[in-house]
Amino acid sequence: MRRLALLVPVALFALPWVLARHQLSILTDLLIFGLFALSLDLLMGYTGLVSFGHAGYFGVGAYTSALLLLNFGVPVPVAVVAGGVVAAVIAWPVGYISTRARDIYFAMLTLAFAQLLYTVAYKWRDLTGGSDGIAGVPKTGLWWGAPGLASPTAFYLVVLVTFLMSFLLCRVLVRSPFGRALLAIRENERKFATLGQDPARFKIAVFVIAGFFAGLAGGLFAPFRGFASPETMFWVLSGQGLMMVIVGGIGTLVGPPVGAIVFILLQEILSSYTEHWMIFTGLVFLLMVLFLPGGIVGATRAWLGVKGTA
Amino acid sequence: MPLSLLVEHLLNAAVLSGLLFLVSVGLSLIFGILRVVNFAHGVFYMLGAYLGVTAVVWSGNFWVSLVVAPPLVGALGAGLELLTLRHIYRRPPIYQLLLTFGAALIMEESIKVLWGPTARAAEPPPVLSGSVGLLGATYPSYRLFLIAMSVAVGVALLLFLARTRAGLVLRAVAQNSEMAGCLGADVRLVRTLAFGGACALAGFGGVMAAPMTTAYLGMGIGVIVDCFVVVVIGGLGSIGGSMIGSLIVGAAQTWGGYYLPETAMAIMYVVMGAVLLFRPWGLFGQEE
Amino acid sequence: MKLSRRDLLKALSVTGVGAALGVPAYLRHAWAADPIKIGLPTALSGSVAQYGIQAKRACELFGKEINAKGGIIGRPVEFIYEDTGGDPATAVRKAQKLVEKDGVKFLTGTVLSSEALAVSAKCPEWKVLLISSINGVGTLTTKFFHRYFFRVNTSGPMGVRAATLYLAESPMKRFYGFGSDYAWGRDSVGAFEKQIAAVKKEIIGRDFAPLGTKDFASYISKIKQAKPDGVMVVLAGQDSTIFVKQAAQFGLTKETKLVMEILELENMKAVGDPMIGIIGSSRYPFTVDTPKNRDFVKRFYDHHKVYPDMFDGETYEALEWLAQVITKAKSDDVEHVIEAWEDSEYEGLEGKFFMRKCDHQAVQPGFMVEAVKDPKYPHLIPKILATYPGDRVTPKCLTEEF
Repeated sequence: MRRLALLVPVALFALPWVLARHQLSILTDLLIFGLFALSLDLLMGYTGLVSFGHAGYFGVGAYTSALLLLNFGVPVPVAVVAGGVVAAVIAWPVGYISTRARDIYFAMLTLAFAQLLYTVAYKWRDLTGGSDGIAGVPKTGLWWGAPGLASPTAFYLVVLVTFLMSFLLCRVLVRSPFGRALLAIRENERKFATLGQDPARFKIAVFVIAGFFAGLAGGLFAPFRGFASPETMFWVLSGQGLMMVIVGGIGTLVGPPVGAIVFILLQEILSSYTEHWMIFTGLVFLLMVLFLPGGIVGATRAWLGVKGTA
Repeated sequence: MPLSLLVEHLLNAAVLSGLLFLVSVGLSLIFGILRVVNFAHGVFYMLGAYLGVTAVVWSGNFWVSLVVAPPLVGALGAGLELLTLRHIYRRPPIYQLLLTFGAALIMEESIKVLWGPTARAAEPPPVLSGSVGLLGATYPSYRLFLIAMSVAVGVALLLFLARTRAGLVLRAVAQNSEMAGCLGADVRLVRTLAFGGACALAGFGGVMAAPMTTAYLGMGIGVIVDCFVVVVIGGLGSIGGSMIGSLIVGAAQTWGGYYLPETAMAIMYVVMGAVLLFRPWGLFGQEE
Repeated sequence: MKLSRRDLLKALSVTGVGAALGVPAYLRHAWAADPIKIGLPTALSGSVAQYGIQAKRACELFGKEINAKGGIIGRPVEFIYEDTGGDPATAVRKAQKLVEKDGVKFLTGTVLSSEALAVSAKCPEWKVLLISSINGVGTLTTKFFHRYFFRVNTSGPMGVRAATLYLAESPMKRFYGFGSDYAWGRDSVGAFEKQIAAVKKEIIGRDFAPLGTKDFASYISKIKQAKPDGVMVVLAGQDSTIFVKQAAQFGLTKETKLVMEILELENMKAVGDPMIGIIGSSRYPFTVDTPKNRDFVKRFYDHHKVYPDMFDGETYEALEWLAQVITKAKSDDVEHVIEAWEDSEYEGLEGKFFMRKCDHQAVQPGFMVEAVKDPKYPHLIPKILATYPGDRVTPKCLTEEF
């Protein structure tokens, strides 16, 4: 079983040599948003916190990375990690405040904060370029003085490595005692509190960690597209993240990347037939919510009779 | 400050508040009665605008569209509730949120299919298409009409809930649906009708808005977040709360937009956050 | 048993994804790259869709005519359209798809200046040309200039220059600047402030509205309070139409003179009579009286049943010039096209064009127009008040100075 699980990363490493340039771009996009959806699953699937503002941290990561690459020419890994760190720093006070509310109110608070970030990005023209965004973000090298990651394959490999490492880290996290505590909070927060632990600390911690990985994804996005804009923080992207998590399989870690695949591939394939691919995507999502709340991975697991958290 | 400017400010704020009220009161009611946050509410508003424009084109008469379009929107809303929402009330609230979100996406794209990607201009009826002079300010008559209608709708809703039997049933279901069911109310029907009614209200808002803002894609997205701010501040489930919330947001956007354009929007979200933290059920909502 | 089913499923899904992504790659290589492909990442929806529609109209007419004559250097021209919705991030994504998947070497039709800036930044990496027929922001040919960008249209600073030259002779002294809050709006209002000060007049205030604003009531209030003689309006697409309508409703048009950085047919048709008397700069007024333009207007009207608007004309000129340059270079290889285009002349619909090598800005005449009623037409038309020769309205190379 382990051996076949390794097949997936191996295949992913080999794909650049098989795919055309355009397909490689799609795959890179897929991994970036897969990472974003993955980070959201930590919140939604494992802790039961539904955030409607997760795109805010993606956006913060994108802007941080864009500004560092454009103005200081730092190596790509530095920009990406910086994106994650700054996003985590911003997620901390937001998480602190938001987690004091429950359920729907939490969701609406996260939306409000993301909109606040969006408004700041839109209005602070001197820093963020306003609605024009930041264009011309370069793909620098792997370390100071190294040649730029101009080749699509080289950049793809950086994204892939980041994705795989993040996935492994998250897997370790959810299997750890910390992860089990999160699950306990999801199941019954009051009971968890009576056991003597403070659920708030855990909720804030996972909020910050999820923010970090979302920022990482955003940090990769900026050099990939060469561009950062307020749209990266807009709640529509948060909504798309939610869709990826639900369609792929909430609480499975593997699910959200699958959801990202479905979402992006649906968009790619359908958009060559019709401009209105969003209707089909929306329908798929709607049907999933109604009939398959466990998503693709959840349903597959149930069908195969397999149980588990990750 | 010259009197004409003050008058303009007050009227501008009233217009914004009125429009916001028409859309957010339905959202607030849906939450109060069904405990569902209807993410698709903005799209029902947009649908009302587009249907209104088409109705004017067919009938040549704005007043006809005002009567015809909202019930159509309401019927669609009731249909949505009947087919989808009704089956997942027992699930955690997040699923209802996500369902309405998915419905919003589908509906928005469908509107694009049916009406095309460019905005549709709508003209106010001839009797309202001029301007009036008011204490030194020139103000379009249609906007004054909009203010009047919003107030009328607000008063009508308050009377409906307080004085009619149907209103009583609605309030009962909102407060305790199980008990209301035991006492003979058909809770499922009430929910469907309430949802449809709230969507019809949003549609009505759309028909009213179109001559002022045109019917355009992105209307739904633009209004929904403002509505959230209004109902959070005012209180989910309270009509009076929606009124106060709309007034606060309308005033803040008008005066903030004039004197502090850079920070006006941001202030709204800060206020929303503060309310959510310290009084999450809003200024006039019911403590949970 | 359980394990192998699960493993099989995993393996199948990975293979499936790889196949779905990979198979088209083989198919792609099988086609011959015969037509000359021009990609348009343009706004076909949203508040600035009217510009994308104009670009598309021009392409359709040009494509029909040129292919009937055998194409360019014997190859047919193919246009590929992608809707960006007027969003720079989407514009980059669609442009990338056009370049990587469809293999286009020429991009045009970008509507917003912010979209153009975002796409232009990637062109040196992709080695494709971005040809602007719509974008006005000055920085495209100054701070952010690179050789893979060509601007065929009148830029924002040039349009503002025409307006300033005209206003210099008028008795109006105090002006208000009002623009869309993005690259072009900010740039043109800024250019106006500098240029109007140079002719000893003053700007008494400025304001910016987000793209897509539908209600200008509070902005109109502010402008009224400032009591300017004239307002320089730099709004995009529908925003422009809605603003003028509402300005009329609030009585602003009676109290001050609106001067539009671009005065378009689309505005005139949508606003109607309240627009009479409003003046502004026009990058291509269809009423220009040259034999070439009269013929173009007739062919355009016959094909599309409407009169050509500003960007119908500008885009058509861009396409015609590109075709001439490709013919001169005898190939569509990007480097050869760049060489052939620099320092070349073109007989446009409005007059003579010259493509400067130093900043790839086309020097061309500037026009000041007024919206007037004319019984020969079903809507208002732009009457030309003044024509300024190219060298008077085009700034010095790589600057916004005159």
